[in-house]
Amino acid sequence: MAPGEKIKAKIRKNLPVRGPQAPTIKDLMQWYCLNTNTHGCRRIVVSRGRLRRLLWILFTLTAVALILWQCALLVISFYTVSVSIKVHFRKLDFPAVTICNMNPYKRSAVGYLLADLDKETNSALESLYGFSEAKPRERRETRSRSSAWEGTTPRFLNLIPLLVFNKDEKGKARDFFTGRKRKISGNIIHKASNVMHVQDSKKLVGFQLCSNDTSDCATYTFSSGLNAIQEWYKLHYMNIMAQVPLEKKVNMSYSAEELLVTCFFDGVSCDARNFTLFHHPMYGNCYTFNNQENATTLSTSMGGSEYGLQVILYINENEYNPYLVSSTGAKVLIHQQDEYPFIEDVGTEIETAMSTSIGMHLTESFRLSEPYSQCTEDGSDVPVTNIYNAAYSLQICLYSCFQTKMVETCGCAQYSQPLPPAANYCNYQQHPNWMYCYYQLYQAFVQEKLGCQSVCRETCSFKEWTLTTSLAQWPSEVSEKWLLNVLTWDQGQQINTKLNKTDLAKLLIFYKDLNQRSIVESPANSIEMLLSNFGGQLGLWMSCSVVCVIEIIEVFFIDSLSIIARHQWQKAKEWWARRQAPSSPEVHPRQRGQDNPALDIDDDLPTFTSAMRLPPGPGAQVPGTPPPRYNTLRLERAFSTQLTDTQLPSEP
Amino acid sequence: MLRVPKFLLKGLHRLQKGPGYTYKELLVWYCNNTNTHGPKRIICEGPKKKAMWFVITLLFAGLVCWQWAVFIQTYLSWEVSVSLSMGFRTMDFPAVTICNSSPFQYSKVKHLLKDLDELMEALLDRILAPEISHTNTTRTLNLTIWNHTPLVLIDERDPHHPVVLDLFQCSHNDSSPAPGSACTAQECKVAMRLCSFNGTLCTFRNFTSATQAVTEWYILQATNIFSQVRRQELVELGYPGERMILACLFGTEPCSYRNFTSIFYPDYGNCYIFNWGMMEKALPSANPGAEFGLKLILDIGQEDYVPFLASTAGARLMLHEQKTYPFIREEGIYAMAGTETSIGVMVDRLQRKGEPYSPCTMNGSDVAIQNLYNNFTTTYSIQACLHSCFQDHMIRNCSCGHYLYPLPPGKKYCNNQDFPDWAHCYLKLQVSVAQRETCISMCKESCNDTQYKMTLSMADWPSEASEDWIFHVLSQERDQSTNITLSRKGIVKLNIYFQEFNYRTIEESPANNIVWLLSNLGGQFGFWMGGSVLCLIEFGEIIIDFVWITIIKMVAFCKSLRRRRAQAPYTGPPPTVAELVEAHTNFGFQPDTANHSAHTEAYSDQQTLPIPGTPPPNYDSLRLQPLDTIESDSEGEAI
Repeated sequence: MAPGEKIKAKIRKNLPVRGPQAPTIKDLMQWYCLNTNTHGCRRIVVSRGRLRRLLWILFTLTAVALILWQCALLVISFYTVSVSIKVHFRKLDFPAVTICNMNPYKRSAVGYLLADLDKETNSALESLYGFSEAKPRERRETRSRSSAWEGTTPRFLNLIPLLVFNKDEKGKARDFFTGRKRKISGNIIHKASNVMHVQDSKKLVGFQLCSNDTSDCATYTFSSGLNAIQEWYKLHYMNIMAQVPLEKKVNMSYSAEELLVTCFFDGVSCDARNFTLFHHPMYGNCYTFNNQENATTLSTSMGGSEYGLQVILYINENEYNPYLVSSTGAKVLIHQQDEYPFIEDVGTEIETAMSTSIGMHLTESFRLSEPYSQCTEDGSDVPVTNIYNAAYSLQICLYSCFQTKMVETCGCAQYSQPLPPAANYCNYQQHPNWMYCYYQLYQAFVQEKLGCQSVCRETCSFKEWTLTTSLAQWPSEVSEKWLLNVLTWDQGQQINTKLNKTDLAKLLIFYKDLNQRSIVESPANSIEMLLSNFGGQLGLWMSCSVVCVIEIIEVFFIDSLSIIARHQWQKAKEWWARRQAPSSPEVHPRQRGQDNPALDIDDDLPTFTSAMRLPPGPGAQVPGTPPPRYNTLRLERAFSTQLTDTQLPSEP
Repeated sequence: MLRVPKFLLKGLHRLQKGPGYTYKELLVWYCNNTNTHGPKRIICEGPKKKAMWFVITLLFAGLVCWQWAVFIQTYLSWEVSVSLSMGFRTMDFPAVTICNSSPFQYSKVKHLLKDLDELMEALLDRILAPEISHTNTTRTLNLTIWNHTPLVLIDERDPHHPVVLDLFQCSHNDSSPAPGSACTAQECKVAMRLCSFNGTLCTFRNFTSATQAVTEWYILQATNIFSQVRRQELVELGYPGERMILACLFGTEPCSYRNFTSIFYPDYGNCYIFNWGMMEKALPSANPGAEFGLKLILDIGQEDYVPFLASTAGARLMLHEQKTYPFIREEGIYAMAGTETSIGVMVDRLQRKGEPYSPCTMNGSDVAIQNLYNNFTTTYSIQACLHSCFQDHMIRNCSCGHYLYPLPPGKKYCNNQDFPDWAHCYLKLQVSVAQRETCISMCKESCNDTQYKMTLSMADWPSEASEDWIFHVLSQERDQSTNITLSRKGIVKLNIYFQEFNYRTIEESPANNIVWLLSNLGGQFGFWMGGSVLCLIEFGEIIIDFVWITIIKMVAFCKSLRRRRAQAPYTGPPPTVAELVEAHTNFGFQPDTANHSAHTEAYSDQQTLPIPGTPPPNYDSLRLQPLDTIESDSEGEAI
């Protein structure tokens, strides 16, 4: 044996080539493939034949790709929710019930404020449609129109003139009061004409809103004079009422004793003291049942109409304002205790001379907030300040957003929403052109130009009461006589006349049954599930585990890098040595690098570097790297020989 | 059979000779040969890495155990997932129950209520116009009813000394100021005096309005009267089906009042149920829309209402499942006279899994309350349970049953003659929160919950133009008279039909089944350690081996103790630790029978030492590759 071979054999004997210390990356790979726990790699190395090896490479790579793809899918679909619906039968909290008369203020009390406006509306109606009487039934004192006109010049019609447009004359309108024809400049906005095709009528009624310098005007026309006049009236009404202090307004509206004739809850009598006042700008005094602060929320433990709220309401039609409200009755809203009652948006209307029974079913929904969905828990992460004294809701956010924008743009606040801090309600005296500003802003708001709709988010959990409303005649014919008498006696303090059937409405609100449905979202995946799904994927395709991953990191990154670094270091060292000793150019640099003259062959254990620097045997081929023998990876033969004495003796 | 003695013999042999291999050997062997990924690494790396892998393996094993615990916990929480399906399919048309708001026809029931009505009228007069003397009328009244539970006027004008005035008795006493002469509703409250124990213990039930007071009082008295009448007679007093149901059309099939099942419902008198499914198969409906539903024309006969009992006029209506009892007072809706009410129906069904997934009962057999509605052969419902529970409490506390609920066998309904205290007792029980909560906690909801979601709409009917001929035809048909016997105030038209989507079914299914659990357990074990069930079996095997070694060692130890007592104590030098370690760590170490002197000292017994220990079984098949030489093994350890 050549001395080189001999030394090599000795090195091989004494220096086991472990994975990390493998001479080249190829060796390392081979070592890895043979010893790894994953299944595919080993096949690549041990397969005989090129095709088979290629196939195994292909399979392994496919498996790796599949694992990566599936795991990516798992990660992407991590934030999904599963929905469960639960039903509980239990004692339920009764919701807060807000009841409003449709008419905000008693005409007798508020009449002096609106007298001028009513007069002008009346005259406008007369000149436009030839109608001369718009008085409520009992206040039919004849009042000549001419006398109303003489004396004062009309304030309201001057401010915002009602105009009649003739289709034939484009851009011209007739001011009905002065009779003058006006040239209309600026844009004419037909209400809702973008959405629906308005039938071409000869006459269109509208009004013009101008900004301060009157050059920039917007004219609003309506397809029906009814809408035009109501809208026009409402604008003025808001303007007038905005200047009245709250206490005065509360006094002008209905008292709880007046509105509620009888009250019965859960088999026990209740009265006006169980209701809290809530003043709504457009509905006047509203009363909320079961929303008392520092009192516990009432609950029902029985379903059925007699265990719910039963009230008889007194709706005095004589006190109705003919231009502001055109329907009679009450509005009722069922809501949560801390929720703001948006009575004008989501109320149920109650008819007079009827018994309205509203059966409820409670459904609770809980959604998961970020990152599962866009909803918000309590609105604290929505960049809109809540100007309402109530818990956050989407509607509150939208209105707050609009009101804030209104204060920013127009300098004053809109009447039907609460006041933001340090702002006043709009009125003519201080803000002469607020209406124009308001209409512009409102248009922008509806068209989602203000960005409120994108900023506001819905709440994550809400309670919903599904209502089944049914009507019945009340009082019945035979009981009408005695019932009205007793009710008149009950209401004796408030009114002197005998009650009429059409002044009363009966309302029953109750839980149909005590089943409460909860729709709960819960995360469909947890970290454990994700990991076990990873494990399943890894195991299915390659029988791999985290240990394998650690191995891969160890081998492919740490060890490969160290091998590369070692090679580079060696190269750098060679290069340095060449520069230091350029005296021997005849020696092939490669050979020189491998040749180590300092190496003395002794019996000491060679280091790895010394082993690598061995000069190759003169005639001998450089043997290929033998398959590494990582002894430690082998199954040990500690018990390789079964000892004979433990075997059963052949003959006993 | 031969194997067992053989096996035992082998075991005995082992016991005599000692284990043959040590814990350490066993452990090393296990680590080397196991299929889980971590332990192998501990053995084959250098000391630093060995420590690292040891920690990692322990950590991963801990993680696996923890995650398994989490999964098993999740599984044992019996969560459910729901699936929702909706659409249209041919379904059984719901049972439709129709009642009148007034329980009885006043013309037929007048003789029973005569005294009470006179009393009531006098009472109203006294409340409304106290100035006028009513002494004459009062004499003629039957005051026995009144004296049982009188209404009183509580004068609260002096808040510290409220004056209680009996509405009738004071009028006899002319010396006192006329009661409530200057009293208005705001100052005087009407209250009901309820007495028990022969009038010794009295309480007042206060009302904020006189309307409620007189209504409640009247209902209480009427209940007393009707509870003394037999059921058959009461049925006679109610509205008969042929008078109430004028026309009926189901799809294209004509139907009549004969297709309705009549039941007596104490609140509303005679109720009629269409398609209850008790006797014959339930009728299906295969098409959506009003044309294919049930069309009914009813006459509620409003002019014959009991005036003080029915202040609301209309038909009472309820949709419910076949073979369930209609709790129409709780879940019914009104249909107004003089209108056509169209009801689009969607069946909202919730099907639950029952125990242990959700606390519900399949058929009510596991509820501790006797279902009194069993007489009707209806299925269990929570309303039935609650009502039975109330009646049960009523019978226990007041020793008589309430008129509104069915009676258990052998009990009687409450009335003033036999049970003078019943009103006091009943009203106390009615508002008792404790009673309700007991009932709610005792009754379980049933697993299948069906709700009929209704979309109601109304229109005036008949129209003014068609009114004449419609009334004429209907009068002719019912009464065979040429005169119009019907009026707008009594006639009700109903259309009940399926909507375009007629069902929405929410069905529960177990969210986590055993397959889910196993695959997750496998996933976790595979993810962290690359293990499987076989690895667990391997581990178990090793544990058994450990125990076996321990047993053998114990036996040997005991033996040696006994022998030591008998013989002189062992005098030779004890084996050093280094020798012991060498014996266990050197894989090249072969228990050589020739020169064992150093190693075999590890075993306690010198005398019997020539017997070497049993090595673990030689699992050749588990090896990955055959080893080249034994020599190389020893080299590996030498580094």
